[in-house]
Formats: sequence, structure tokens, C-alpha cells
Amino acid sequence: MKNIVSLLFVYFSFLLSFHAQDLSGLISDADNGEPLAGVNIIVQDQNEGAVSDFDGKFKIENFESGSTLVFSYVGYKTLRLKISSEDFLDFKNINVTLESDLSELDEIVVIGYGSQKLSDISGAVSTVNDDAIESVNPVRVEDALQGQASGVNIISSGSPGSKPTVLIRGITSYAGNDPLVVIDGVSASIDDLNSVNPNDIKSINILKDAALASIYGVKGGSGVIVITTKTGKRNSKTSFNISTSTGFQEVVKKIDVLNAAEYVAILNEASVNSGQGIVFPDISGYGLGTNWQDEILNDAPIVNHSVSASGGSENTSYYVSASYTGQEGVVGDGDKSFFNRTSFTTNIDTDLNEKIKLIVNTNYSNIKGKSLPENGITSVLSNALNFDPTVNPYKESELLLGSNGATFFQEHSSQNGSFGTSETITQEIVNPLAQIYNTYNQNKVNKFTGKIELQYDLIKDLKVTSRFGYTYVDIYDKSFVPLQFYGIGHNQTNSEPDLSPIVSIDSEGNSTSTHNRVSEGYTNYFTYTYELYGNYDFSVNDLHNFQTVAGFSIGESKGGNISATNEDVPFNSWAYADVSAATGNALQQTSGSWQYVNRNLSYFSRLLYDYDEKYYASLTARIDGSTSFGSNNKFGFFPSASFGWVVSKEEFFENLPIDFLKLRASYGSLGNDNISPQFALISTFPSYVLNGNIISGSSLGSIPNDDVSWENQVQTNIGVDTRFFGNKLSLTLDYFQKTVDDLLFSPNLSLYLGTPSFPTTNIGSTKSSGIDANISFNTNIAALSIASNLNFTTASNEVVSINNGDKYIWGAGYGIPYRPIVRFEEGFSPGYFYGYVTDGLFQNQTEIDNHASQTTNGTFPGDIRFVDLNNDGIINDSDRTKIGDPFPDFTIGWNLNLDYKSFDLSIFTYASVGNDIYRAYERNLSYTNRFASVLDRWTGAGTSFEEPRVTFIDSNNNSRASDRYIEDGSYLRIKNIQFGYSIPVSVAEKLGFSQIRAYMQIKNALTLTEYSGYDPEISVGGVLNTGIDYGTYPQPRIWSLGMNFKF
Amino acid sequence: MNNFKNIFVYSLLILSLNNCTDHVDYEAIENYAITAEVYFQQESDYEAALVGTYDPLQWMFFNIQIGAIASDLSLCGGESASDYLGLQEINSMTHYPENDVLSNVWRWLYEGVNRANYMEENKSNIEFDGKESMYGEVYFLRAYYYFQLIKFFGDVPLFTDVRLTAGDSGSLSRSAASLVYEQIELDLQNAISVLPASQSEQGRVNKFTAYALLGKVLLYQEKFAESAQAFDQVIGVYSLVSDYGSQFLRFGENGPESVFEIQYTNQSNWYDWNCIQCSEGNYGIIMNGPRGWSGPEYAQGWSFNVPTEEFFNSFADGDTRRDATILDIQAFADQTGSSYTEGYDHTGYFNNKYIPRAGESGGQIELNYLTNYRIIRYADVLLMAAEALNRGQIDDATALQYLNQVRARAFGSSDNNLNVSGSALTDAIWLERKYELALEGHRFFDLVRTGQASSTIPGFISGKHEVFPIPQQEIDISGLEQNPSY
Repeated sequence: MKNIVSLLFVYFSFLLSFHAQDLSGLISDADNGEPLAGVNIIVQDQNEGAVSDFDGKFKIENFESGSTLVFSYVGYKTLRLKISSEDFLDFKNINVTLESDLSELDEIVVIGYGSQKLSDISGAVSTVNDDAIESVNPVRVEDALQGQASGVNIISSGSPGSKPTVLIRGITSYAGNDPLVVIDGVSASIDDLNSVNPNDIKSINILKDAALASIYGVKGGSGVIVITTKTGKRNSKTSFNISTSTGFQEVVKKIDVLNAAEYVAILNEASVNSGQGIVFPDISGYGLGTNWQDEILNDAPIVNHSVSASGGSENTSYYVSASYTGQEGVVGDGDKSFFNRTSFTTNIDTDLNEKIKLIVNTNYSNIKGKSLPENGITSVLSNALNFDPTVNPYKESELLLGSNGATFFQEHSSQNGSFGTSETITQEIVNPLAQIYNTYNQNKVNKFTGKIELQYDLIKDLKVTSRFGYTYVDIYDKSFVPLQFYGIGHNQTNSEPDLSPIVSIDSEGNSTSTHNRVSEGYTNYFTYTYELYGNYDFSVNDLHNFQTVAGFSIGESKGGNISATNEDVPFNSWAYADVSAATGNALQQTSGSWQYVNRNLSYFSRLLYDYDEKYYASLTARIDGSTSFGSNNKFGFFPSASFGWVVSKEEFFENLPIDFLKLRASYGSLGNDNISPQFALISTFPSYVLNGNIISGSSLGSIPNDDVSWENQVQTNIGVDTRFFGNKLSLTLDYFQKTVDDLLFSPNLSLYLGTPSFPTTNIGSTKSSGIDANISFNTNIAALSIASNLNFTTASNEVVSINNGDKYIWGAGYGIPYRPIVRFEEGFSPGYFYGYVTDGLFQNQTEIDNHASQTTNGTFPGDIRFVDLNNDGIINDSDRTKIGDPFPDFTIGWNLNLDYKSFDLSIFTYASVGNDIYRAYERNLSYTNRFASVLDRWTGAGTSFEEPRVTFIDSNNNSRASDRYIEDGSYLRIKNIQFGYSIPVSVAEKLGFSQIRAYMQIKNALTLTEYSGYDPEISVGGVLNTGIDYGTYPQPRIWSLGMNFKF
Repeated sequence: MNNFKNIFVYSLLILSLNNCTDHVDYEAIENYAITAEVYFQQESDYEAALVGTYDPLQWMFFNIQIGAIASDLSLCGGESASDYLGLQEINSMTHYPENDVLSNVWRWLYEGVNRANYMEENKSNIEFDGKESMYGEVYFLRAYYYFQLIKFFGDVPLFTDVRLTAGDSGSLSRSAASLVYEQIELDLQNAISVLPASQSEQGRVNKFTAYALLGKVLLYQEKFAESAQAFDQVIGVYSLVSDYGSQFLRFGENGPESVFEIQYTNQSNWYDWNCIQCSEGNYGIIMNGPRGWSGPEYAQGWSFNVPTEEFFNSFADGDTRRDATILDIQAFADQTGSSYTEGYDHTGYFNNKYIPRAGESGGQIELNYLTNYRIIRYADVLLMAAEALNRGQIDDATALQYLNQVRARAFGSSDNNLNVSGSALTDAIWLERKYELALEGHRFFDLVRTGQASSTIPGFISGKHEVFPIPQQEIDISGLEQNPSY
């Protein structure tokens, strides 16, 4: 959007004499001044024309003054220019600049094995271009997709570098919903996006419906994200682009927990309520105590630097870039939690001769990271919320007796690991500072991805492409569990207070001791795909236009791991934490390895047809074979078809106030192949103890299903594209419906079959439907250019059937004791929350007596009343039902971009409506901290109708999974504000730059929500683990400053 | 130019000449996996499969808890009223078909049955020396797994020829316990006929183990004469250790009194909480330990299975079994200056026979306790033999003598010997079992077997609680009939 309004550069000459004369000039890009080759130039109303050469030069003979020239070029706005001798003294130097056309409808969309103008597409697609990515300045590419593309739902976590949940058009599968990612034609996965530098991306196209995605067949069922990286331009001098930004992240919201004074008072009451004495006889002097959240949440830096160079000669172009992204975690500190990525990209294409073009793309990424425990009762945040507020962060300084007999004053701090401990909390929950101190791990990834591609213009209109794409990944990880002390008798303690091992003497006088432990592992993945296909594009009578492609793809993906563990790391120190340095004996050393391979073979073909750009049709088919499929179902066939009609081209439409109207419809099938090859495997894992020694045994470990096949999804899409008001307002609306009839499941078989792993089978079906809508408005008011885009995404999902024993499968759960909470169940939306329904509190004994029996352990006034759904007089597991759904009813993304002279402003707002959250971060021990809501607890009849009495003995099991923990997680969030200023070009040019821009950015600037936790956007990974707040890693607010330089 | 043409031509040729579909074939050996097709081809495969058949014995760690918690001897305990809800419900006799503890018991026992059947399925592949004796162990184990299933669930699906596969899901129905008992007896008779009198390795069952189990199985069916005969084979083969408590300590494992003992070790260095039964250690032990214990001899645990004060106080004066059986935690803490925290249902007492002891675990401490589970002790054999002789009206004198052997050891002298007969002797034997075998996982089943459950266990409903419910999941999937009143 930063394009300057199209300029015409006119050079004066002094001669004007002939009526008709030769005309020549130069065409260049308005954006960067690079010459444009291949531009069509037509003299309007005449049959004459020309094409610009590699240097952007063109020439038209016998040009009549006063005629209009029409310059057209794919991806640029068509320019009409009347040239008369009054304006142009010299027809020899007509210099013209073309403005690239960002109007979506003329965008080029890469659709897999080919590309198409957006306006020609009869399937459903969303696009995000480099400008949108730039304005978000994301760490991971997916962040730039959230709310930018309709039909795409992204739920991310604030944890550095973490993988978000990405859903394209709802949830259809139990086996996996990650979309396929295709980078420059090479298949990859969402996991691979951690290594992609967002600055390298030119465009992202999301193929949503069957018509577009079925060219990827069995992989396309969850949608396809097609990423095109930047390339250089032919015949252009090297241009450099440097961007740098630096900022800091802060956690905006803290959860209100009891302070020390409140804590001791509440604990006294809880103890008395459970028939025990006062636990804190003197409750004065506790004050606020320690707020553990303040201790562990820090402002953390984030930086982003990238530099690229691109350009080209007559037959070669190149794009090279280097980038560094560093993000530290806001929980803990940068030594223990960070994500650093360094990446290098080289994209080169060159004409080997007139007919053959070679394209070599290479990307190398290095990722380093460390992480702290997240998303569980033992996470750092959970500890911060649950730990005793009366404990000091560090032990008080003390006088100690030194080895020389003299006393010395010992200062305690994190430096020597002397953390405050609780004497009353002895389970799981620990001082979070101590936990951070004792957490040691690292992860290093080296990744090479790329392709080698040959494009061969075999005959006129027929191009053959031969492409070899690869991904090679090396992952090294290490973790160290030191001897650690959290208080005497604490179940996480494995050392004496001085961090020496705990030595136990058994009845025979043998001593055993606790150990520290180090684990290391190498994992390696290699994936390649070789594809050979031909594109044959031709027209008949200039009316019947055909684009065809046919080819095949063959690939293999394999991985392996080898790991080792040993105990007794010298000095209990991370510095020495390595298997090679650890001194454990043979029994303490363990090792392991695994490997897999899977191969596929596919044939694909597509026919795109249009009649005069008015009627469109496409036919696509793919045949996929995979090692994953059972021997009786090796190959699957995935066809699709689509139709489009540009109604606005019809004559009857001419007088309507609509600039463009296209109707689209598509129907086709896609797949999902998230299964592994199946065999009757002998497991050599079982073992037994004979003569005191562990003896290895065997058993049948798995049972195959030779009939297993892919999930076959049928998707229907109906869409409309329209534009009004001189193309200023455009609207795209799509309705889709997906059904899967062969849902893959690990079946629930009779328990009397024992414990082998049972084969995945096709035994369920799901249905999803929804609407994706996108409204764009672009206009200029004087020097102010406004571009606004609103998109709307909704999907409703239902598990139609599970032909499997008990018709449901448990998903995630939480807590100690463990309570399952998520279900994938017939007749319900996938991944919904399941539990008891509460009905206020019992105010008196009569109410208890009149209600169904809740527990035999004792229900008392002030306890929660649960609803007896089946009216059998007993509250038990059968009284549970759907109590929430973690997926939003709809999401809205709104982008507003304003350009005014040298200033630009972009604001992105995102709203998610109707997503429920299950609060699951309370440990519920007698002495763990409680939430401030407890202050409104029940203390007698009529005192509270929501917050139950406090007690040490929860005999009514008030903490069972119930709607008490469900909250509405709807939110509206200003995700991004970027305000930029570009130094005037004339000034920049004097400094030797073509552009200098500085900007300020605020991410997650403001969140409006009723939710009480850190962040209503909760992703732990996967559909069956969404929306449960285990003390979720909040998305920080990020303030940053950045500069872009182009020269 | 020609080169590139060649590349195209070659790649096209290579791909079309090769049969492309081979590319998507896959054999397990590519990833070094052993398939069933290449197994049971050599003796060592059979030995491994036998070890694999023993393995599910180790998964029976809930036996100790359930046998006591369901009875009148102990409360569930734990951290809170909702800790191990499945056990809490069994404690209060409010258990119903959805119970994850019982589901595991059911499934794990059936895994044992299936592993034995898988060996049966492959029995005739090859011949080698010692195969018959090896299958004696297999049949014994299958008999034991089925016996456990009957004790817990009553009538259960019975199958013996092959390991079931996915296609067998939902195809079976429950067989009458009498039929299952027939199969158990047959398996044990077959085992007895081929098993040696002693095994070279501790942990393997021998002929007398099989006789002892046969006697017990017959006693459960009240076939007293046959039961007495079976026990008679075992009498004198084993002996009572003089110090009652010593046999529950590490050095007392596999001692002269041990007839059948599940073997555990702390050597496996297991850390994975997601597979507690994968450890070679005994997960049942950590459950019984004092919470937050900081002191000598014992190690901290989760305060489950806490004996009642009433039971502690009911031991006769001079009965050495009281302190061997029950740990009075406050007294011990005071004596040693130790500390602990109280769990739910705190009674102040712990199961001293199966309790975490300092230094007896490894790896993830909770998962690797080495404590063996003594399933059949010689004292139990004596008391069962006495009961068979007495209730079968065969020989009260011998029965009394067996009973007094047990009592004399317990009290350290014959001063407390009894002299009764008839039904008084029956009562005496039953009472003796309560004290002799307390907290070893027998009490609930003894109470049910002898018809004393409804009068002894609070909340016990006759006609219902004699057996546990078939897991709801199995009802849903397999369409099995549920036990009465569940």
C-alpha cells in the first residue's frame, strides 16, 4: 500500500515536428524503478502493439500523435496514456512507470503445479501478501495469518517459538487437523514453519476447498497453505533490503490470588471447617507476602534483524537473505526460556539456455531454544499461582559456621540456589523461582530445506517441470535434572538441603542414593519429493482458454532418533551435564532409538478452462499411494470439479451498479492419511524378574488392519465475488460443507483383548459447515489512502458417528487427581468439555436432604449442588454432560491501513466470540494458595450462592470437573498497531537509499475480555487439548521500534 | 542441451520401467520390527514369550489395596476424598461400573490370559527339550489370571486356544464361573503333571505352587475333599519362618514360607509416569506410605490403605503380627524424631507389610519399589488346608494342628494354642486368616467367600457386592451382561 500514486515521468525534448513518427521509451516498476520486461503495449483501437524487452525498452513505429497507448502486465495496473505532441516534445523518451496492482482480484495465486489470476479462480482461496506480513512483523509465519485470511483459525500461545493450532475451515478429523504446507512447490508441514523467515515470504495462498486442494489429494483434507518466497527480478541491479526491529514484551494481566494475610485467614477457616484446629494462631504481621507472579514474570526482549539482496541479469535472478530472530520468554528469564532463529535463504533461477530454466532454492536455519515447564500443574505459572504467599522468595540471610571455624554471613539469592521453601506444601507445588533455577534443557535444530527445479519449454505452450524438493533436519536436545531441594518431605525434593544426594540405608545395610540425571538425544529427519509434470496452456480462437497440467510425484520421509541417559553428573552442574561426563554405572545408563519411514507415490492432473473469461470450469484429480495404507487399499483417488460464472460480463448486467460479480461452485474429495503402517508386531518390551534379574520377554504388541484406508472427505463450496463503487468495495463470500465418512480412529475394542495397540480403523464420520467472508474497501481521499479489510470466519463441527464401542474418546484432562474433561463424541462438536452441572450451593441441611445423594463422604451446607441429570437420586459419572466448547462460534479480523504522504498506519483487530475456557490451574491442596474469589465464599446460609465454603477436606468433591470452571473466553484484541514514517524519497536518495522507513509497533495492545485468566487465547497443541487453561503462557504485549532500509 | 534431454528421458524411463507401486510397499523389517510371521521359530522365542506371560503378574499392584480397602480392615485414604476416586468408591461400597481401577484390573488380567493363549496358539510350531515343562508354567499362569478374574468379577468370558484379535471384539459373552473353574482346574492339573518340583530360578512356579493354587481354587468352590488332597501335597514342602515380620522385609523375600511370589526389582530405573505398569518395580508400594515422611527406615508415600484403629486395637495381646502388620506412625515418629503430614482419612496407621522403605527404590522413586508381592504363603496354605479338612469334616485334629502351627509362630509360643472343633474351629480358622493374612489383599475375598461380608463390611449389599461390576466400557463395547444390581 506504500505505492505512490502512479507517476508519469516526462522528459522534455525540444523537437516536435512529425504527425506520425516512431515512438520509443522505457517501462519500469513504480515501486522500485526496476525495468519491466514483457509488458504488452497496444495502441488503442489499432492493431499495432509491442512488447518491452529485457531492459524494459519498447518501440512503436508510425505512432500517430493523440492516440492512446495501453500498457498491460500481469500483476500491474493497466495504464492508458494519451500521447500527443502538445504534451510530449519527443516521442523517443517516453518513460512510463507501472504501479503494481494489489487489488486482490488480479493477484496471482499459486495453486499447486501452476498459478492463476485470483479473478480466474473458481475455488475458494484466501491470500495474504508480503505487506500484510510485514505489518505484523511475526516470529512465526502463522501469526501473520491470524485474522488476515477468512476461513483460517489460528490459536497461538505466548511461549517463544511455539507451534499454534491452525484450523482451516473447522475440525473434521480426530487423526489430525494440521493443514499441508507447500513452500515453493515443496511439501512441508506446519512444524516446518518454525524455520521460515517471514521476511522471505512474498505471498501466502490458502487453498480451502476441494477444487483447489484436491491437487494435493490425501494430504489436502485440512486445507493447504501455499507459501511463495521472494525471488529476484531479471535485468535489475541489486537492491538491498534491511529491516531491523527491537522491542520488549510484557505480561499485562496478573491473576488475583490471596495475599499472605488473606491466605492465613482463609486457611484457618478451612481448617476449622474440616474439624481441625487453627493452623495460624497469630494472623497478624503477614502483610502482602510474596506475589509469586511478580517474582517470575519479567519484561523480555525480542529482536528481529534481516537483510536481503535481490536482482538479476538478463538470464539469471537471485534473492539472498539472512535473518536473526531472538525472543526471550516473559516467564522466567532469558537464560532459561528463549527462541533464537538464524536463517539464510538463497533463491536463484537462471536460464541454462533458451528453453531450460534452472531454479535452486536453499534455506538453512539454525534454531536454538530453552524452555520451562508449561501447561500443567507443575508448570512455572501453576506454581506461581498455587505456592504459599507467606514464604519468602529466598531464604533469609543467615550466619553459618565456616570450615575454618569462623562464622560468616551467608547471603541467599538465586545465585546459590537457596530458595524459600514451604513446610506445609509437600506435593508437586514448589517455589517457582527454585523450579526455574533447577530447570535445565536446550534444543538445537539445524535445518536445510530447498529445491532444485528444471523448467523446460518443450514445445510452444508446453512446459515440463522437474523438481526435487528436500527437507533435512537435525535436532539435538539435552536436559538435566539436578539434585534439587524444595523442602524436607516434599515429593519433588531429591536432595538434602545442601544439595547432596539423599542416602538411604535399607534393612540389609545397603545404601542407595538419589541421583541427578542428564539425557541427550539426536533426531534426524529427511524428506524428499521428486515431481515431474507438464503444463500445457493454450487458447482456441482466443475464446476457449485452457490451462492443463499432468504429472506425478514420488517421495519418501524418514526419521530416526538415538538417545542416552546417565546419572551422576559431576558437581550437580549444568556445565558438566553431558552423558560423557556423567559417572553413573552400567545400570544407570540407558539408551534408546526409534526410526520410521514412509513413502508415497501420486499422479495428478488438472484442467482449467474458461470461455472468454466469462465461464470457468476446472477438473482436478489425484491418485495417492502410501506405505501408510493397508495392503488392501494402497491407492486412493481424489477428484474435484468447479465452475465459475462472471455474471458481470453478461450483456444484461451492463447497467447494474456492480462492477464485478462472479459466482462459484465446487465439489470434490480430499483425504487425510495420519496413520502408520500396520503389522502384527512382536514387542520385546515386556520383561519379568527372575532370580532378581530383569529378563526380557515378548508379547504380541500390535494387531494389523489390512483394510485401513485414508479418511475420505467430501467438500462442497459455493461462493461469490463481487465489487462495487468503481471496484473500491469488494466482497467475497463462501459457504462450505465438509463431510468425512471414513474417520480414522484407534478403535475402542473389547477390553478382554488385553493391552496390545489396536489398529487404526475407519469407523466414524464428521460434518463441518461454515461461512468465510471477506470485505475489502480501498479508496483515496486526496493524499490519504485507505485500505480496510474485514473478514469473518465461522465453522460448526459435529461428530456424526463413531462406530466404536462407547461412541466417544477422551481427549485432554487436568489436575491431580487427574480429571478428564475433553471428549470427541458422537452427536457433539469435536473436543467439547464434559463434566457436572452445578446448581448453586446448599444453604442448609434440608436442601442437602432434599437433593440427590452426592457423595457418601459427606455433603455439608456451603458445598456445591450438582444437578442430577438422570434423576436417579445419585450424583455420579452418569450425571455429566456437555458444559462448554473451546472453539469460537465465529472470529472476525479487521485490518485498517492508512497512508498519508510519508506516514503509514496499520491497525489489526481480532475478535473471537463464543469460545469457552476451562480453568484448570488450581492444585487444591490444603495449603496451596487460592484465588481471590474465595474471599466471597459461603460462610453461612445466604452468604454466597456461588463460591463454596473453604475446607481442607473436600468430602463433597466440589473440585470435580464441572461448569464451575467454565468461563466465556470471548475476546476482542487489538493485535497489532504499526505506525510508520518514510523519509521523503528525495532525502533518502541523497543518502543513497531508495527508501528509509521507521516504525513503532505494539502487538497485543489491548484485550477486551471477561475471562479471569491470563489470556483467553489458549493453545496447547491439537484439537483435543484446546481451551484448557493450565496456567496458559500469556501472549505478551510487545512494544517495538523498527527500521527498514532499501537501496 | 543433449544432456538435459537425456536427463528427462532417463528419469522418465527409470520411473516407467520400475514398477512404481513397489515404492509404496512396506515391510516391518525396514524399521527393524519383528513381526509375528517370523516369531516362534526357535526355543528362545518361546522362553521370551513365557517371560512375557509372567509379566502381567506385576500389574496386579491394586490387589493389595482393593483386598484391604474393600474390607473392614482399612480405609482408602490418599490425599483427598477425590484422590483415586475408583478406590475411594470401593472403600465406601459405592463403586459402580465406571471405575478406572477396576477397568485396569480387568484388562490387565485379560492381557495375561491372551499372552498365555498366544503361546498355546504357537505350541506346535517347533519341538525342543523342556517345552512341556515350560507350558506347565503357561497353564499355571493362565489358571491364576482366570482365578483372579472370577474372584473380582464372577462369570467372565472364557477363551483358551488363541490370542484374540480385533475381529473378536464384542464377539464373546460371559461363561459361568463353574465353567471357568473347570478350565482352571484342567490347566492346573496339566501344569502339575509337567512342572518340576523345584525351579532353578526364583520367581518361576513349580509343581507345589500349582498344587497350592489348585487347593485354593477348590476351596473357593467348597470342594473340600479335593482341596485338602491338593494342599496335602504341599504340606511339609515349605515351612513357617520363625520371625513373622521378617518375611515381609527385603531379605525375607522368596524365603522358606514363600509358595507363590510376584517378583519385583528396583533395577529397572523406570521414569515414565504414563506407563506405571511398565516398571519392573511395584507401584502398589508407594500408595501405602506415610505422606511427607521425613525420617529413618521408611520413605514417603501417598497415605492410601490406612488400617483402622479398631483393627489395630483388636489384635490379641502378645500377637507379634500386630506391629509387623501395622505401623503406628505417630509412635514411630515420636520415637525417631521424624515428621509426616496427614492425608485424607488419617488413622495414624499404615500397612507395614507393603510400605515404602528407605533405599528400596530407584529411578522415579514412586515407580520402582522392589517389594515382592507374596501371593501364597505357607501359613495361608496351612490355614486353607485346615479349613478344607474342617469344613469338609475330614480331619479336625489335623486342621487344628495346622491352625496352631500358625498361632504358635505368631505368639512365639504354644501358650495361645486353641483346642476347638467343628464350627468353632471354622470360626477360629477364619478369624486367624484375618490376622495372619491382614493387608495382603485376601480379606475382602475371604469375607465374600465365607459369607461374612454383609455382616462385616459397612455398606456391603448382599447379592451385589460379592463381585465387582464389569467395567462399563466392556459392557458398552462387548455387550456383556452386567453383574446384578450394578
